[in-house]
Amino acid sequence: MGADTEATARREVRVTDASGLRTAFVRAMMPAGRAPARVPSHSLVLEHVVQDPARLAAYDRVCGFTLRDSVPPTWLHVLAFPLHVRLLGAQDSTVRLVGAVHVRNTMTLHRPVGVGEALRIEVHAEAPRPHVKGALVDLVGAISVHDETVWTGVSTYLAQGSHVAGDPVDLPRDHFEPGTPQGLWRLKGDLGKRYKAVSGDPNPIHTSRVMARAFGFPRPLIHGMWTHAHALAQLESRLPDAYTATVGFARPVLLPGTVGYRTAAHDGGWDCAVTTKDGARPHLLMRVEP
Amino acid sequence: MNHNVVVVGGNRTPFAKAGGPLREASNHDLLTAALDGLVARHGLAGVRLGEVAGGAVLKHSKDFNLTREAVLSSALSPLTPACDLQQACATGLETTMYIANKIALGQLDAGIAAGVDSTSDAPIAVSDGLRRILLAAQAAKTPAARLKALARIRPSHLAPQAPSVAEPRTGLSMGEHQALTGARWSVTREEQDEIAAESHRKLAAAWQEGFFDDLVTPYLGLAKDAILRPDTTVEKLSALRPVFGGPEGTMTAGNSTALSDGAAAVLLASETWAKERGLPMLARIVDAEIAAVDHPGGDDLLLGPVAATGRLLARQGLEVSDFALVEIHEAFASTVVSTLKAWADEEYCRSLGLDGAIGELDRDRLNVTGSSLAVGHPFAATGARLVPTLAKLLHEKGPGSKGLISVCAAGGQGLVAILEAV
Amino acid sequence: MSVLEKAFHSPVGRKVAARAGLAEPPVLRRGRTYPGGALVLAQIGEATLGARTLDVLGRPYEAPVLDGGEDVTPGYGDRIGAVVIDATEVTRIDQLEHVRAVLRPAVRGLEGSGRVVILARPAGGDWEQRAVARALDGIDRTVAKELRRGATSNLVRVEEGATPADVASTLEFLLQGRSAFVDGQTWAVGHAPSVAGISERPLDGRIVVVTGAARGIGAAIARTLARDGAEIVAVDVPAAGESLAAVANEVGGTALQLDITAPDAGARIAGLVASRGARIHGVVHNAGITRDKMLANTDQSRWASVLQVNLAAQMRMNEVLLDPAVDGGVAEGGRIVGIASTSGLAGNKGQTNYAASKAGVAGLVEAMAPDLASRAITANAVAPGFIETDMTAKIPFVQREVFRRSNSLSQGGSPVDVAETIGYLLDPASQGVTGQVIRVCGQNLVGA
Repeated sequence: MGADTEATARREVRVTDASGLRTAFVRAMMPAGRAPARVPSHSLVLEHVVQDPARLAAYDRVCGFTLRDSVPPTWLHVLAFPLHVRLLGAQDSTVRLVGAVHVRNTMTLHRPVGVGEALRIEVHAEAPRPHVKGALVDLVGAISVHDETVWTGVSTYLAQGSHVAGDPVDLPRDHFEPGTPQGLWRLKGDLGKRYKAVSGDPNPIHTSRVMARAFGFPRPLIHGMWTHAHALAQLESRLPDAYTATVGFARPVLLPGTVGYRTAAHDGGWDCAVTTKDGARPHLLMRVEP
Repeated sequence: MNHNVVVVGGNRTPFAKAGGPLREASNHDLLTAALDGLVARHGLAGVRLGEVAGGAVLKHSKDFNLTREAVLSSALSPLTPACDLQQACATGLETTMYIANKIALGQLDAGIAAGVDSTSDAPIAVSDGLRRILLAAQAAKTPAARLKALARIRPSHLAPQAPSVAEPRTGLSMGEHQALTGARWSVTREEQDEIAAESHRKLAAAWQEGFFDDLVTPYLGLAKDAILRPDTTVEKLSALRPVFGGPEGTMTAGNSTALSDGAAAVLLASETWAKERGLPMLARIVDAEIAAVDHPGGDDLLLGPVAATGRLLARQGLEVSDFALVEIHEAFASTVVSTLKAWADEEYCRSLGLDGAIGELDRDRLNVTGSSLAVGHPFAATGARLVPTLAKLLHEKGPGSKGLISVCAAGGQGLVAILEAV
Repeated sequence: MSVLEKAFHSPVGRKVAARAGLAEPPVLRRGRTYPGGALVLAQIGEATLGARTLDVLGRPYEAPVLDGGEDVTPGYGDRIGAVVIDATEVTRIDQLEHVRAVLRPAVRGLEGSGRVVILARPAGGDWEQRAVARALDGIDRTVAKELRRGATSNLVRVEEGATPADVASTLEFLLQGRSAFVDGQTWAVGHAPSVAGISERPLDGRIVVVTGAARGIGAAIARTLARDGAEIVAVDVPAAGESLAAVANEVGGTALQLDITAPDAGARIAGLVASRGARIHGVVHNAGITRDKMLANTDQSRWASVLQVNLAAQMRMNEVLLDPAVDGGVAEGGRIVGIASTSGLAGNKGQTNYAASKAGVAGLVEAMAPDLASRAITANAVAPGFIETDMTAKIPFVQREVFRRSNSLSQGGSPVDVAETIGYLLDPASQGVTGQVIRVCGQNLVGA
């Protein structure tokens, strides 16, 4: 964040509601050319976001959380997600959601957030970083209540085919050892549709076989953030009221499909792995720390 | 091996009408909330309890292990085992007796008995999609919005049928059964509306004086029972149209319980365990009796508790007048009236194989903090609501005070239990 | 968030603010942590109390570098973590020069979140002695204002007869990160006939009642005291029950839904504790409300509700809980902690009712302390200044930023800072601290 204080002013653009999202979605879905990676310098702000308990309940059901007054942090990511779409769908963005692979995500819940609390959501993009396969873009979200920051999140996307000048940076490598899963998740073919309905992520790669094939996958993939949420839901009653969850998305999960899950308390936090069903290779690695 | 079993305390969510403020919560969500509040009230976070028994009457097939799953979501130690039981509207009292009996036998030191029902999340045997569309239509404010919601219905939504709320063997709904019973026992509209108005008045007074402060934990922003209408009067109730028993019927939406959402839990323990942990002991579980009637043969469906009461009192050598307080579950106001008339009816009681009439109840001892008509009746939760409520009331009256709980249930069954203040 | 506020937090805004001298506030050292650098002890005259107290704490110390009038001010090689000035034998004006000679190199060499602690005697003795006592106060308050990067200065008045064991918990608290937002303060430590030793978990197995525990400062108090071993009875109004249950379950405590203004509030708390066959170690009267209006617009109900909840209710509860005949009341050697406010001590526009109630709390503990001394029960108050909470977030931005910046640490405090100070007062080792009002305000006299 040090660099951006020296950058020129980050203009805040206030988004009034979600209705104008369609165009942005369409643009965000249009594959970009092999242009140098460029992202908007402004941040987008949604003021006074009133949470919808019915949608939260539906989200909880799809992801496996218990409906409580306090919401899961991954739900707050879902609330910030339309701003990801808008930001990358802006005219001055050459990075598109389609073709951008969500590779890492870190979120911190600073205190329990009640479903009754109205939120201010702000998202901006950090300058793209070079990577051997393209450009890395961090979308940084912050959610506050009154003036108190209650949630922060960094989503790292890899824009394949895009490029940025400079020496390629590496993503942190998550340690993984093969192991026998403690659980198997049997994921049905309609999971992508169900998660789409509660998350509002319209990427057809999660719901359409044709679109999945177009991107080189034999079947649709479940959203990485569903896998993240479902992994977090396994820990639910053990989670403290403030923590950081970091995930690396190692390889996509195809639908329908079966994946393995295991978790272990480690160093005062938890390490969780969503793996192939034989436990040999990781789909998602998650670290949760108080 | 016979250990004293005490009621340590209880907790429940506020109760609400189906489709009301708790409509988004599933049985799992509600039961977890009730357990978490109970755990917090007694400082049991992370504690491994002997067992938790819970149940729901309306259950999705995926909830086959509902109670254990709620335990895992709760603040209890994940090493706490659990089981599901179901005995229609008596479930919460039956889970209480199940845990109490195990404690009495020395199999458990302590356990939780619970019950939950969400009629908003009822497993209608149609697709989840249709249920949600119907809920949306129900919630719609304008006819246009309702049509818009209903327009989303697809043929695939419609295939199977909702399970009937009727008794399988008679084809009559519970209300229709009670209408027959009410007519047989000459229960008047005025008697019923009087009971309903009293239920609301007493419940409102109990909330007002903070009686439920240590029995209820708010959930999803709802802090009090949402069905309660403190300003209800006999006059207002008398204006309602009958819903059971035809145009001449006396049973209305006002003197019948509403379909409800909610969960309740009771902490039960051996006296030794409660003392060791320094937890309160409100009342001892003395005894219980279950009975059933031959409703397919024409018996009154909801008068099952009468035989149970007669047999239980005979076994314990007690009279009606020995009870400082009595809780009779208000399935319908008419049920309460006909039950009390049956208690006093020599001939009827003898027909049940009793030695004579059970006796007359001093109405001042009945449902003193209101009951299901005002609180609501999430089927399986009601028993687990009644036990801590009565235990606390008896405890306030002083050691040795006795109380009786009477709950009727589908299938012509009735479960009654005796508590005695510690 | 207002337009102004957004501009302020924008990168340009931050740059402008930086030029205007409003640098990013320092991150304060917190928790049970001592400073990283060396601990320096300056003994003036024949004073030995400081040395003996540091021995009790098991902290090694170094001799100070003194400024002796050379051309170049002598300095410390590495940054030092804290300087303790034992001025308990300072009685003459000329001895104050020694204090200067210690402080000049020390304040230059102090690390971020470093500490200056002055041990002195209460005002007494001859005219000069009394003047000197006040002079030390002036030094402390000014040093506190001059120190930068989160370093603090505080003064402890050690009464005659107080032993190192009496002073140990206070010195430990002041040196550790727990006192992060306590700055420029003075309070007294006396002698207690028996005092507990220093411990990492001083409240182990002790029951502490915290009112208003469902959120904000109250929840922070519950967590911090649970960390120190306390069994928490978390009290809040029934409507806050779900958050209260979550806090109680998180700290492994017990939730009690209770309106503290109810006549039987004290009895119900005692009843719960009595049923466990126990007595209360500490009561933290944290529950409080604001109903702000200028006096010209303050009606009877705004007045009454604030005075009831913030002051009258805790008096009524104390009466019950302090009655030795009440089962489940406060034990011998127990603790009462009230929450005052800098608004009550300094006054604050629009808060006459609140200021009255909070100043009243300060008066109450001062009055209770001597009466409870025979039962070894202490009564103290903490007076939070500007603490970042839901309640303060409602203050308009400019005013809020002014509050934040107009203290010696250039920031608002955290609820934890209030909680840690309460933990210090509840510590069985703090037996000699009673009748005191400790501000947790970063040396600011304004705030909610």
